[in-house]
Amino acid sequence: MERLIFDAAALMAIVFAGLMVAGRDPVKSVLALVVSFFALAVTYVLLLAPFIAALQIIVYAGAILVLFLFVIMLLNVGPERPDGMRRPIQTFLGSVAVVVFAGLLLGMFKASGGHLPAQPEAVAMDTLPDPAALARLLFSDYLLHFEAVSVLLLAALVGAFVLARRENAP
Amino acid sequence: MIGSIPLSHVLLASGALFSIGIAGALLRRNAIQIFLSIELMMNAANLALLGYGAALGTHQGQIIVFFVIAIAAAEASVGLAIFVALFRHTETIDVNKIHLLKW
Repeated sequence: MERLIFDAAALMAIVFAGLMVAGRDPVKSVLALVVSFFALAVTYVLLLAPFIAALQIIVYAGAILVLFLFVIMLLNVGPERPDGMRRPIQTFLGSVAVVVFAGLLLGMFKASGGHLPAQPEAVAMDTLPDPAALARLLFSDYLLHFEAVSVLLLAALVGAFVLARRENAP
Repeated sequence: MIGSIPLSHVLLASGALFSIGIAGALLRRNAIQIFLSIELMMNAANLALLGYGAALGTHQGQIIVFFVIAIAAAEASVGLAIFVALFRHTETIDVNKIHLLKW
């Protein structure tokens, strides 16, 4: 049952990611990616990470993609138009790179057979973990990283403000 | 195995999403769509991290994904600010028309 739901959600994420890449209209691309991220949130719940699933919906689908939509509408970007300049070499090399990359991934996957590295103390979780345990870990072992991320976010905030400001603003 | 989900399914889905992201980043001309493809690749990596974390029974995967999401938020805000600044100067975000640094 879990397996069926996981496969369905993963397939939906892949299909809508494909729609995102194939579409020419940026607004439709963003909306397709929202659906894809929601489907990914379902898979995160099935992978025993309900807290990350909530973050995925709130931060990714809620904040980041809405920011994208906001910028698209602010800049009034229309659909990509064919501009009469064919770039056959660029397209060809890009496609070759994608095919080679996907082939490498698949080959690597086949060679390893999806096996886990040997880890004697590994015990597969069967129940949903307590988010409190995650919080305890985050605020003890990873406290320094957490604070570093807060500084990074502040730097990004200031950087975005400086970049998007008009140069002759008072 | 996580519950009844084989790890191979998680890794296959992650690889497929990452490949789609690479295709978008290499073949699209619209800067916004390239950026969306990069976000998609980050999510593919997150999926693999969560799959391995759950299969190994640790919280480490979730911790890394937490930091990846925080960094993605910072990256999105700065990247979009760059697009706004770029659009103000060049009136386009088609990456083939922005070639000041090309030879």
